[in-house]
Amino acid sequence: MIEFDLPFILQCAKFLLAFVPLCFIPILIWGERRGASLIQDRLGPNRANIPLLGGLRLFGLVQNAPDGIKLFTKESFIPKHAHKFWYIVAPMIPLCIAFLTPSVIPWFAPMAVEGAKGIANVSGQILDADAGVLVLFALSGLSVYGVVLGAWASNSKYALMGGMRASAMMISYEVSMGLSVAGIFLIVGSFSLTNIVEWQAAHVWGIVAQPLGFVMFLTSLFAETGRAPFDVAEGDSEIVAGYFLEYSAIRFGLYYMGEYAHIAIASALVSTVFLGGYHMPWLGTEVIRANLGLVGGGLLAAIALLCIWIAYASNRWSNIYAKMNATDAAQRKLEYRVMTGLFSGLAVLLLVAGSALALFVHPQQVSVGGTEIWPLWVNLGTAAIQLGIVVAKTLFICWVFIWVRWTLPRFRYDQVMGLGWKILLNIALVNLLVTAVVAKLVKG
Amino acid sequence: MIAQVYFWIFAAIAAACALGVMLSRHPINGAMSLIGTMVSLAGIFSLIASPFMATLQVLVYAGAVMMLVVFVIMVLNCAKDHSTPLFDGAGLFGVLPAAALGALLVRVFVGLDKQATVAMNPQAPRGDVDAISKTLFGAGQHTGGWALLFLAVGILLLTAIVGAVLLAKRHLDSPSEPATIEGGH
Repeated sequence: MIEFDLPFILQCAKFLLAFVPLCFIPILIWGERRGASLIQDRLGPNRANIPLLGGLRLFGLVQNAPDGIKLFTKESFIPKHAHKFWYIVAPMIPLCIAFLTPSVIPWFAPMAVEGAKGIANVSGQILDADAGVLVLFALSGLSVYGVVLGAWASNSKYALMGGMRASAMMISYEVSMGLSVAGIFLIVGSFSLTNIVEWQAAHVWGIVAQPLGFVMFLTSLFAETGRAPFDVAEGDSEIVAGYFLEYSAIRFGLYYMGEYAHIAIASALVSTVFLGGYHMPWLGTEVIRANLGLVGGGLLAAIALLCIWIAYASNRWSNIYAKMNATDAAQRKLEYRVMTGLFSGLAVLLLVAGSALALFVHPQQVSVGGTEIWPLWVNLGTAAIQLGIVVAKTLFICWVFIWVRWTLPRFRYDQVMGLGWKILLNIALVNLLVTAVVAKLVKG
Repeated sequence: MIAQVYFWIFAAIAAACALGVMLSRHPINGAMSLIGTMVSLAGIFSLIASPFMATLQVLVYAGAVMMLVVFVIMVLNCAKDHSTPLFDGAGLFGVLPAAALGALLVRVFVGLDKQATVAMNPQAPRGDVDAISKTLFGAGQHTGGWALLFLAVGILLLTAIVGAVLLAKRHLDSPSEPATIEGGH
């Protein structure tokens, strides 16, 4: 029966990690708007503020709050000819899937902890199945039903066309997506993402071992998430808004959030399979555990540097704004002062905490039944650092998603299909063949 | 204990969805019920220590095959046919296999044949990646030689795809036919 010992509690606590991609949604929406503005040489939404201390705007992040309130409080309209049941159920599907798919992504290295039956191994993924990444592919393949059903239930021609395009594209690109990542599976010899990361830690990152696979996988993911340059399913200039044309208020919001959660999960997958996941060069799991104080202190110092930069920028803007003849000069001056103070204070705190960590924390292994393992707090600290590494890499790939969307023009529908079936699939097959031959020759 | 609870939940969903496939008059409802059955079956697979089979069930059947079915339903716009009859002539083909399966199940579970009792250890790994790949692709002496059959099936599927493309092409390119919306042939 179930024993409520430490490994079991940790296993349950890991379920909280299913919410990590959800936390990406507001950051991604903010990043999309401000990133688009950066690329198009404008400012983007930066006016919404918390009316405290001169109106804190937090770089525009506050904009998410009024957006959310608007989506929740607007009238949720159901068209007269819509098929009610599927119209209501369909937008829920992508967001539900977004809770399930991160279950196979390893957020930290496996840790050995003492349980009731001796030492147990707690891995960094919620679901420790040997089918590994296939579980993720299988579940994310289901999320297209949300798009297709919503499109069909809307009973509108444009929506139906968008849904049909989405389903055709999803089927096409799933093939090249699977084949382009299969090279890594061949080299590693496992579907489990923890094994893939451990192999990358022992040898080279996947992007070096499979550069072609990386490019093709990323391209397929752009199509799979329905992002520009492959957003033919939405195609504003051709079919108005595609599958969510008839949706309003929070039902539209569910699609919107599902799309961004999908991007976050796809980015986490790319960073795990091709960018080493929780591994950083010269910072292997054992290195972090043995020097937890130093590594944690260094990380805090890096964050402190970022805070110092923000404080410096706020101060500079405060001076520039003071010279401008703006009507809200007094308010803005106060806000920039508050930001400068806030972030310099944060930087000082982080630096003090970081130095304390580096000076006073020296983990020692403990012996449990003759085996040397690290104490729990060392494992948890390492897990936190490694979670930070994965999140940082994922944020980078998310930025690549945004960057590509606002750089490349949209493809025509037949061009998207041609790229998928005539180019990507063939390159992926040749890549797989060459990888198989090389892997056979090297591994024997 | 927990596994049993989960089994009954999955079994109930699977059975209810199977009934839904039979009884729903709307093609989309039927297709979605079938997906529900497949996903619950995947859950049961993973309960008997075959997580890989469960994954493939979702990936291939619920994800790809049913996606195509739904796509076809949408393209042909069966949404207009709200009055599909529950049973028609084609349904007779299902009676014989169903009866055969029922007889088999009765024989096993009612215990008419003591030899045929189901003896299995649900904990023993049987459907994991390693076992399946060794059985399916192993080229040694003690394997069933399924690899050849696998290749043969691949060639068969390829032939079918090429044939379908050829048929569709001839239909689309024929210049003599005027473009009609309903396509009455």
